[in-house]
Amino acid sequence: MSIEWIGPVLASTTSIGVVYLLGSLGEIYAERSGILNLGMEGTMAIGAATSFIFTITWGHTIAFLLAGVFGMLMGLLLAFFAVSLRLNQITVGLAITMLGLGLSGFITFPTIRKTVLQTLNPELPSTALETQSVPMLPPVSLSFLKEIPIIGPMLFNHNIVVYITLILAPLMWFLLFRTSIGLKIRSVGENPGMADALGINVFRIRYLTCILSGAFSALAGAYLILGFQPFWIEGMTGGRGFITLSLIILSTWNPLRAVFGSLLFGGIEVLQYRLQLFGLGATSPQFVLMLPYAIAVITLSLLSLESFRKKMSAPATLAKPYYREE
Amino acid sequence: MFEYAVNMNKNAVNEKKISRREFLGITKAAAISGIIAAGIAGGAAGYLARVPEEVEVTRTVTYTLPVKELKPIKVGYVYVGPVGDYGWSYGHDRGRRWADERFKNVESYYIESVPEPEVTPAIENLVAKGCELIITTSFGFMDATADAAKKYSDRYFVHISGYRSGAAGNAPQNMSAAFAEFYQLYYLCGLAAGAITQTGVIGYVAAYPIPEVVRHINAYVLGAQYTYKKRTGKDVKAHVTWIFNWVAPEQARLAASALIDDKNCDVVNYTEDTPAVLMVAEDYQKKGKKVWSFSHYSDMREYGPTAHLTGPVANWGPIYLDFYKMVATKTWQSVDIWARVGDYIPWRWRRPVEKSTVGKEEGTVYLLPMNPVIPDEYVSLIKQRYEEMKELLFEPFSVEGHDPDGKRPIRDQDGDVKIGFGERADRNMLWSMDWLVEYVEEPLPK
Repeated sequence: MSIEWIGPVLASTTSIGVVYLLGSLGEIYAERSGILNLGMEGTMAIGAATSFIFTITWGHTIAFLLAGVFGMLMGLLLAFFAVSLRLNQITVGLAITMLGLGLSGFITFPTIRKTVLQTLNPELPSTALETQSVPMLPPVSLSFLKEIPIIGPMLFNHNIVVYITLILAPLMWFLLFRTSIGLKIRSVGENPGMADALGINVFRIRYLTCILSGAFSALAGAYLILGFQPFWIEGMTGGRGFITLSLIILSTWNPLRAVFGSLLFGGIEVLQYRLQLFGLGATSPQFVLMLPYAIAVITLSLLSLESFRKKMSAPATLAKPYYREE
Repeated sequence: MFEYAVNMNKNAVNEKKISRREFLGITKAAAISGIIAAGIAGGAAGYLARVPEEVEVTRTVTYTLPVKELKPIKVGYVYVGPVGDYGWSYGHDRGRRWADERFKNVESYYIESVPEPEVTPAIENLVAKGCELIITTSFGFMDATADAAKKYSDRYFVHISGYRSGAAGNAPQNMSAAFAEFYQLYYLCGLAAGAITQTGVIGYVAAYPIPEVVRHINAYVLGAQYTYKKRTGKDVKAHVTWIFNWVAPEQARLAASALIDDKNCDVVNYTEDTPAVLMVAEDYQKKGKKVWSFSHYSDMREYGPTAHLTGPVANWGPIYLDFYKMVATKTWQSVDIWARVGDYIPWRWRRPVEKSTVGKEEGTVYLLPMNPVIPDEYVSLIKQRYEEMKELLFEPFSVEGHDPDGKRPIRDQDGDVKIGFGERADRNMLWSMDWLVEYVEEPLPK
């Protein structure tokens, strides 16, 4: 066996890992401020669906921006229910996931999709009205860096969103741990009463992080269809929103560690099929295919244990609404 | 509940007696019911989608006597997936429309995205609507369909892809079974693959290790072995990855790249309901690497114009039309149909190679037009085999389908002879195939 197979594996790992990373960057902020956004899966689906439609009508850039806007609206919805109305975040999150998956499913109907596309842009050719695929984001290869063995193809032959996401991760880490706004966000998640007493507007911070989380989830969905797998089907997010939630726990709510967590989950996803070809677990590949979901279920269940939360230093008021009067 | 909450809000404004906490509680109730209703609406919309068919009845009245008009027959379909997808349920819906268009005097209904445990209520629903003929289109619907056939002996039932029917003796007489079978077409795809592969390694992205998929893999590999052996004198190598999913483009994409990058496969076929694998092949073609793939179930050429070799397509319409006619003319007979190449075509004789109808839409299963990159010699071979199969003169699972010299029996991965000289696969072998041919390198998952 030659070493050549590593290059494509690492390139695919980065490519799929960015879906998880984009989603987790926003969600880490939300969870740090005490909001558990279980609506990620649905928001990702909305992001994928809207960017699919808007890419056909107006191209990649606008599609990404509008997907972000739709994600913000989903985040706003979450914020309204979870922050203002102080509903149970788990219920609201699951409802948002159902809503997102259901709404995004509508564009699977050929007639509905056609009507939507024609309304948005009446000049579209008929092929664009019928296709279920979109043009992918073009790769931008950084010519000389690409030639570096192993990490060259892993890092330097991707589309622009991959680069931006990888640069965003340390920036978001810096913002969260080294600036006063980051300190405010974290303090709201640890002790909202104290933060409130110190003059931090808990509601405003939580609204902001909800919207941020929504936007990033939707962008992750948009990247999934524009950068990784350009064919629309209903439910194409395939549980990746929930996997992202568990990956955030494993990366202890830290954007830099989330980079490694995302690559880990991306790597598992890529290796599932390669391992079969190398004869590992070939007689029962279903167990390898189950792995990411199994890890997600285990970490999410562990999160409900008080001792586990303490050990992982989970934000103290994660998923707990804040009442000012108490 | 919503109305109640709104009224209470009004009170809150008018009387100003309600506290902020109470207000929040009430709004909460409204919000929860609102969001749940929205969620349910989103998720469940389309569960019962009735498509009113435009029934065109063109009459030329040439007599004056009043004639009692024939009542249209009512047909109900139960689909396992959404009709908008690019696969199985979409194919059945296309078949429904095809049959309706030709039969004209019919009202058809369908219920889509029916999970297997919910098929009984779906059937009851169609019975209540007055459907005389009910067609269920997923393997998992079989037992529920047989139960319904027993319960409603005045209605007719057709189940797709199963083995229970009155004809087979394991279901009531008002139930039939039907299937459009692809293994012959996968064999022809294999002939094309063996004719074009440069590496001598072919790949397959497979859904589930069930007999249907296994016989498609075997037929594909046997075809490739035949032409590759003829071309180069060497044996072909085949690799299979399993994704355990029918519709999962991102998984199919990763699995296809694994086959191409790691094992050097340059022709990749698949059982997955989207064009994902074909799109991967097209990406490699754009990057300058010659990788080829196929369509699956419907014409997917637009997703890989360069990489597309050919592909099997199903049209369920003729099968459905046949059942419509039986019901309308009260000539029902329970049947167990396995439609293959040549079935449901008006002229069921083989044609000479130069007049072959390969690439034309005919019958229930047919092959898409072939990519001109396939060498002429092998295009002729594919045409010849296609025509011979119309009369069942040729069977892929036979020594002559496997070895160009006619010397080698078909062996499984353990080296056991499965099909020897003068033998061909029969129904039981095809229906319960649980072994892979010797050229496949990965074991069959247990």
